[in-house]
Amino acid sequence: MRTLVFIPAWNEAASVAAVIADVRETMPAADVLVVDDGSTDETAAVAHEAGAVVAPLPFNQGLGAALQTGYLYALREGYDFCAHLDADGQHPPAEVVRLLAEVEADRADLVIGSRYHAGAAETSSDDYQPTLSRRIGTSVFRFFLTLATRQRFTDTTSGMRAANRRVMSLFSENYSPDFAEIESLQLAVREGLRVEEVPVRMLERAGGSSFLTPLRSAFFIFKGVVVLLVGQFRPRHAGAER
Amino acid sequence: MSTLALAAASSPTVHLTSQTRILAAVLALLFMLLILELIRRDRLQERYSVIWFVAGLGMLAGAAFPGLLELVADVMGVRDTNVALFSIVLLLLLGLALNFSVIMSRQAAQITRLAQERAIERARAQAPPDHNGNGAPAADASERSSS
Repeated sequence: MRTLVFIPAWNEAASVAAVIADVRETMPAADVLVVDDGSTDETAAVAHEAGAVVAPLPFNQGLGAALQTGYLYALREGYDFCAHLDADGQHPPAEVVRLLAEVEADRADLVIGSRYHAGAAETSSDDYQPTLSRRIGTSVFRFFLTLATRQRFTDTTSGMRAANRRVMSLFSENYSPDFAEIESLQLAVREGLRVEEVPVRMLERAGGSSFLTPLRSAFFIFKGVVVLLVGQFRPRHAGAER
Repeated sequence: MSTLALAAASSPTVHLTSQTRILAAVLALLFMLLILELIRRDRLQERYSVIWFVAGLGMLAGAAFPGLLELVADVMGVRDTNVALFSIVLLLLLGLALNFSVIMSRQAAQITRLAQERAIERARAQAPPDHNGNGAPAADASERSSS
């Protein structure tokens, strides 16, 4: 059983080394890949120094393309399972282990770490506190995604996931470049894969800041709803081109 | 312009003047020559030039056979042939713009995949530091290693 943990990173030199070290300590058997999404800072060098294999995209392509790179690498290199987490330190690797356990036990094909799930562990002061615009966006996406998939999702934009080879081959060919998280969930459910949420703890980010300003959030939400709507009418088993 | 307006008020239909027709024909010919020149100088690929030639030929046909345009105007229920002409050109430009968006999307997807392939090649070049120790993972690429 080979497992790949990959970390999409864009200008995360401040936090990526700590995340890699944490993953290596928590999951010594797993290989660690950092997908460097065209960073202009020292992210790639820092990640390499910290002992990760680095896949450098030549220019910034967006989170979706970076995640797809990870899935493609995992598929090509013959990994049985893969997981990904954010480079900013919000996702404790100990929680990733729990997600991986679900796919390893073959209880699901794709497992999402949810920070809002009812069963989420007790909170403490350094735990993740969502902002207001984030809260609004979350509930809008939750509503529409539930409507689209007829399955209840609480944390639609979570970037902490674990997957098996079925998901790798689906996502390495079909993955929305700019609406990675939500559309991929819709796609996986439509293709008949078993998608499951597991409650996890998330921390406040260690470095950098969120890209979401209120105006951007509104646009993000609008775009997400359009994407979900279009996704409902997408042909099943779409080809390599999207 | 005032004579044109008067003409529109008095007669039910407005035809293209021969002056307009000659101008349009000359422009169409110049336009197609420009397309040929761009192809000759490798500034435009043949597969993207077809649509422009069709546009140029359409322009020429409209200038040579004004009856064609008047027929279209009639079908559209427009009294002024000039208005019909503008509408057709506008629709054509819309179609072209959409065509470009489709081509652009396809090329964006291709560029993304190219970037990903390159990133993966680079990643493979660094031997996995601690796993399996076979050092040359590229050899069994896309093959699932027996576990």
